[in-house]
Amino acid sequence: MPKCTIDGKEIEVKPGENLITVAKRAGVDIPVFCYHPGLTVVAQCRMCYVEVEKMPKLQTACSTMAAEGMVVKTQSDPVVKGRAGTMEFLLLNHPLDCPICDKAGECDLQDNSYGHGSAYMRHSEERRTYVDVDMGPVIEKNMNRCIHCTRCIRFGEEVAGIHEMVAIKRGNNIDITTIDGNPLKTEYAGNYADICPTGSLTLRDFRFRKRAWMLKKTATVCEGCSKGCNMEIQHEGNVIYRCVPRENLEINKHWMCDEGRFNYHYTQDPTRVLTPRSGEATIGWENAIQNLKDLTDGKKITFLVGSDLTQEELATVQEYINAYQKGSSIHHFGTDGVSESVDDGQADKILKMKSKTSNLSGAEKLGIKSISHLKTATDVVVVIRGGRADLNVALKQVQGKKLIGMGVFLEKEISTFSLVLPGLAFTEKEGTIINHAGIEQKIKRAIVPKNTVKAVSEVLMLAANKKAKEAVV
Amino acid sequence: MSQTTLFEQHFWKESNRNLDYYLQSMNGYQAAQKVLKEMTPDQVIDEVKKGNLRGRGGAGFPMGMKWSFIPKNSEKPKYLVCNADESEPGTCKDRQIIRYTPHLLIEGLIIGSFAIGCKHAYVYIRGEYVREANLLNAAIDEAYAKGYLGKNIFGSGYDLDITVHRGAGAYICGEETGLLNSLEGKRGEPRVKPPFPAVSGAFGCPTAVNNVESIANVPHLIRMGGDTFAQLGKVDKSGGTRLISLSGHVKKPGVFEIQAGSMTLRQIIENLGGGIINDKKLKAVIPGGSSSPILTADEIDVVYDVEPLMKVGTMMGSAAIMVIHEDTDLVKLLLRITKFYAHESCGQCTPCREGCHWMESILHKIVHHEAKPSDLDLLNDVAQNIGGKTLCALGDAAAGPVISFLKKFKPEFEAYIKGQNKYA
Amino acid sequence: MEKHLSDKFYVAMKKLEPRYPNKKALILPALHQAQEEFGWLPKEALEEVAEYIGVHPAQIREVASFYTMYNLKPVGKNHLKICTNVACCLRGADELMNFAEKKLGIKCGESTSDGLFSLSEEECLGACTTAPAMMANDDYIEELDVNKLNEYIEKMKVLK
Repeated sequence: MPKCTIDGKEIEVKPGENLITVAKRAGVDIPVFCYHPGLTVVAQCRMCYVEVEKMPKLQTACSTMAAEGMVVKTQSDPVVKGRAGTMEFLLLNHPLDCPICDKAGECDLQDNSYGHGSAYMRHSEERRTYVDVDMGPVIEKNMNRCIHCTRCIRFGEEVAGIHEMVAIKRGNNIDITTIDGNPLKTEYAGNYADICPTGSLTLRDFRFRKRAWMLKKTATVCEGCSKGCNMEIQHEGNVIYRCVPRENLEINKHWMCDEGRFNYHYTQDPTRVLTPRSGEATIGWENAIQNLKDLTDGKKITFLVGSDLTQEELATVQEYINAYQKGSSIHHFGTDGVSESVDDGQADKILKMKSKTSNLSGAEKLGIKSISHLKTATDVVVVIRGGRADLNVALKQVQGKKLIGMGVFLEKEISTFSLVLPGLAFTEKEGTIINHAGIEQKIKRAIVPKNTVKAVSEVLMLAANKKAKEAVV
Repeated sequence: MSQTTLFEQHFWKESNRNLDYYLQSMNGYQAAQKVLKEMTPDQVIDEVKKGNLRGRGGAGFPMGMKWSFIPKNSEKPKYLVCNADESEPGTCKDRQIIRYTPHLLIEGLIIGSFAIGCKHAYVYIRGEYVREANLLNAAIDEAYAKGYLGKNIFGSGYDLDITVHRGAGAYICGEETGLLNSLEGKRGEPRVKPPFPAVSGAFGCPTAVNNVESIANVPHLIRMGGDTFAQLGKVDKSGGTRLISLSGHVKKPGVFEIQAGSMTLRQIIENLGGGIINDKKLKAVIPGGSSSPILTADEIDVVYDVEPLMKVGTMMGSAAIMVIHEDTDLVKLLLRITKFYAHESCGQCTPCREGCHWMESILHKIVHHEAKPSDLDLLNDVAQNIGGKTLCALGDAAAGPVISFLKKFKPEFEAYIKGQNKYA
Repeated sequence: MEKHLSDKFYVAMKKLEPRYPNKKALILPALHQAQEEFGWLPKEALEEVAEYIGVHPAQIREVASFYTMYNLKPVGKNHLKICTNVACCLRGADELMNFAEKKLGIKCGESTSDGLFSLSEEECLGACTTAPAMMANDDYIEELDVNKLNEYIEKMKVLK
């Protein structure tokens, strides 16, 4: 394999790798703004200068391919001066309003300024200012903070497939914007905030809610559809503030859709049912388990399980049926129009799948059949779901039956239920899901659930225990 | 010495632009016929290499070499794109070729296209040259009508189309990759290189971009042979003649033709330009378009060609000489030049986008007596931080004049800072 | 979508289409052609060009706004563009600009209230050896001086 040398370290290079990638592997960090591994290389921010032996000028590491015998310096005097020059230029017109900027603490401009800039400012002219347009509900724009890296323009064109974010005019007068004050149309707008290296494009949903450095991060998987995009839940004090995509080149690369990004909100909805209910009445767990036993004991029951449950949850239900509810049926439900994975497929050209639940493949792998195969329901129906599976799909098949709900429900969803046993949302539990392509992934607990909700396994175990005890008596 | 010229004798008379004139008085289309019928593409390229034909657009790159970079085995179409953007301030020579000898350009395009295997050539002409674009289109129509363009040219089996593509007002489209983006219907922003246009140029295909004068020289070169063409040049590595745009404070501004390297800058100003207007004293010369570093009156005894000018720290560029006499306020002139580059910066690269405007602001302060003494060092340092730091040469073009004006005429700037201005 | 561009536009474009490997390359010619119809490029024209080319309207706007010759605001019937770059500046362009401003009673960058004249400063026109030069709509007027400029303005006033 060819080798090159970066700051004295010899390192192997693969064909087509740029110096940023190679340097990273060598443990050498090269500062960047416009470079993003998921977007085309434009080499225009001029931050990633390096010195390459036998080349006359400073080179940009993003656009320089590593080659056999190349000797690269990332800390030489010309490099340091070049980067400092770029930092100075970038800050000429930046408002330096870090104290009230949402990006502070996770801002490339701040970090690179700290690492490569000067503490002293030589510019005393008036700063360039803009009047911002409303970009719709997802993104807040602040053009004054923009450093013209064009990541957003490239994201729109190359990833989101819509050329709605553009550079208007040229040179010092460029405005990076949508035209005529149009809101962003893409359903992937949240990524604009992720890739913006300054506070120019921020997430309205997150605005002024939490300082970035206070957030704890839990790596998990989105439950929004069968794609299984990798994401991070960012939370503090047991409250989720935002979700952001996590790189997985095989599945979602660097991106996620807005639906998935904002999906978590229902888990913190003030109308989420967090205590057991019998009809309209709030009851204790002791009574709730007794009611469950009373309603199901010795009967054949129709179990409807959401394809938003984890493998572990689904398997537990199956085992419970085998042990304690012999003769009962189990069917999965999830998305209207997608009863089985053969119905699933890309919902757009980017990431979204038709199945709005995360574990359709998993449910099928466990041998559970779709609700479309359910002929007649028993008098009592147990519906277990995580929060994503479409209740209407289940309920239209079992009208007039006695309904028991387990899992995540909002107040407005439980009016037809006799008994509700509140369970864990995807943010509150661990488990396995299998995406449309058969890739198995783990979801991780970010939030400690309220002590009035219980996992499916716990509920079923308590019910089983009760049956066992009463059988002894 | 008496000058052999290839273009100038045909200029300035409108009827010379007709096909009849070209055929009768300039042996029109004979070189193309010879190439298409008797030569291989490689032989053409070798002949051009032999002729030492350097690019006339500004960089002075050997043209035969540029053509030889076009891959021969590529499956993709190949393109020859003629750069008629003529945007470097001071330059207006290509305009005369299009106005008076358009068929020379067309014939050059036929030969060049054949040499690189191109079936469709484009002429990217600056948007302001509306009349010139019409004239060129009329000449192209004439050529089509005679069968010099289109299918099976001269019965050789070779096909070629030429399309004139108008720019729309952007200096940066004179940069070859900015030009290609503009041709493709995009903002004229220069591209990252590599890949170079020879590999991935117009529409992602191998492309050679050549200046009008460069291409118009090719029929001459083929007709007389590379060796004879090379000998027209009087310095190493430069063959043929050069069209010079002489402007500013000379008695007789104009476009002149000289054998490459046959005159010094002083001789050009005095003999061709007739000296300085109102017999004023010469103060300075911008020798190769506004981006070339300025020369003082004492520095003009230099042979006017690529390498000799490089040796004295400036460049020949597009051979646009701007002559400046003693009554000129160079501080204000530098502000004007800098304003131009700030206006024309495409805005991609940080140093150019931010730095050109900053330099303009500092110069504005100097001109209005609002600057501090330290601002001169600052100005120089800002220029240094732009030069050599950008994707394309516009950054260098903007930095060069600032650095050279400050180096050679610093007292004028210092006077402003002290509140004095002898030109007020 | 309601059509604003004439048949002439579509005929001209149809003729150009086979000259390029893709339709996007027609953006500049299309904008020139559209501007010929209106004297400038109103939003409706830009949107129609976008529809014709088959791209997002924002893409047309970003291209149009890059080039100085595309007027994104209305201009006067006579658009005087005086070059003030180096070669013209050395030959008295600033004086011409001052004269034009006074004569027309507007500042550079403005239009007269009767819509007859617009005045702007132009970067190098490539007519340096016949400086100073200006562009009046599509025509160059070279070796310009105050008298010539005055005459031109007077002539255009009479023609309306």
